[in-house]
Amino acid sequence: MDQRDDAPDAPRLTDGGPAFAHVSEAEFARILDYYQVAWAYEPHTFPILWNLSGDVLESFSPDFFLPELDLYVELTTLRQKLVRKKNRKLRRLRELYPELRIKLFYARDFRALMLKYGRLELAEELSGTAGHVTPLRSAASMLAGPFGAERLAVEALAETTRAAAALELAPIVVVTGHHRRRRRGAARAAAAEEAQANA
Amino acid sequence: MKAPVDLQDDVAEVLVSEDQIQAKVRELGARISTDYAGRTLTLVSVLKGSLPFMADLMRSISVPVRIDLMEVSSYGGSSTESSGLVRILKDLSASIADEHVLLVEDIIDTGLTLNYLVRYLRGKSPASLRICTLLDKPARRLVEIPVDYTGFTIDDRFVVGYGLDFGEFYRNLRYVGVLRPEVYSTPAPEPGPVAE
Repeated sequence: MDQRDDAPDAPRLTDGGPAFAHVSEAEFARILDYYQVAWAYEPHTFPILWNLSGDVLESFSPDFFLPELDLYVELTTLRQKLVRKKNRKLRRLRELYPELRIKLFYARDFRALMLKYGRLELAEELSGTAGHVTPLRSAASMLAGPFGAERLAVEALAETTRAAAALELAPIVVVTGHHRRRRRGAARAAAAEEAQANA
Repeated sequence: MKAPVDLQDDVAEVLVSEDQIQAKVRELGARISTDYAGRTLTLVSVLKGSLPFMADLMRSISVPVRIDLMEVSSYGGSSTESSGLVRILKDLSASIADEHVLLVEDIIDTGLTLNYLVRYLRGKSPASLRICTLLDKPARRLVEIPVDYTGFTIDDRFVVGYGLDFGEFYRNLRYVGVLRPEVYSTPAPEPGPVAE
């Protein structure tokens, strides 16, 4: 049976959507699309740490904003060490912006969601850092050379495409100037995390 | 997915016993009967998971009831890949305009299916629309929807039985049980609709 004429309209589709940092995010967007829940990918960035001059030292961009539900969703399918860092940032965000409604999805939550939808094999592939489009270990070295950020962005794009192909997902990659800048920031943060971890 | 050899063996723990379910169904039926006293009620069951709950609940309600059935596709199901959108596989068989409607669900976790259904049913202009669920798993909630009648609030565990399935099996268990992790860990089951 076809979609009913009087069924709720689909508010947004992933077609031509953003470049996701992790394939779990792409999968989550597909689920939201499927159930016709409008979403935006990292539409807002919230400063969470400033220096004495008022310059922003640290900020947090929740992965998804669901405008109809006035809800932010953060997916955390990372290694435990990085989850702790994210938890700290999230606590800070909640302290500074108590009016925000934000839901954190851990790896186990995402895995449970995939199990519910009969996609356990995908959950297992996505767990840990396997689904990351930006390999954390190589981020610092790639950034070090000339045009490091640009090389990193290109590599990330290629990795996304490979990951999507491996999972038989339709490619959802459109890298805009905004996304490139955002990814550059993310890459620097990843490099900093890597350096901190190695210290 | 291969049919389980022994349904009981695959259950690690009985979460809600048959007696507890039946007692709760009677309690919910009494509350609903009081709340809808003097009115006619249309129960809308969401297939397939809510079927046992619906069958028991309707017999515990003393006010006049009509029943109707709906089925919607689930993400990841084999029938969903073409459109990429949730679809109504079985629609209402009669108008619910100006009727008092109670949507009967087996379990609410993310709330995504329920959110879709509520929007759809509200578009049919019922006189009122309330929600009744046997199980509520709030830890997994994405879409907050007020639930009027809740049987049991449960932790975030993978449950089967009393209508709830894994790979279309285990629905005929008379209780709600926690599935052993090894049942769904390896090998991965074929994708199939899993009721919310």
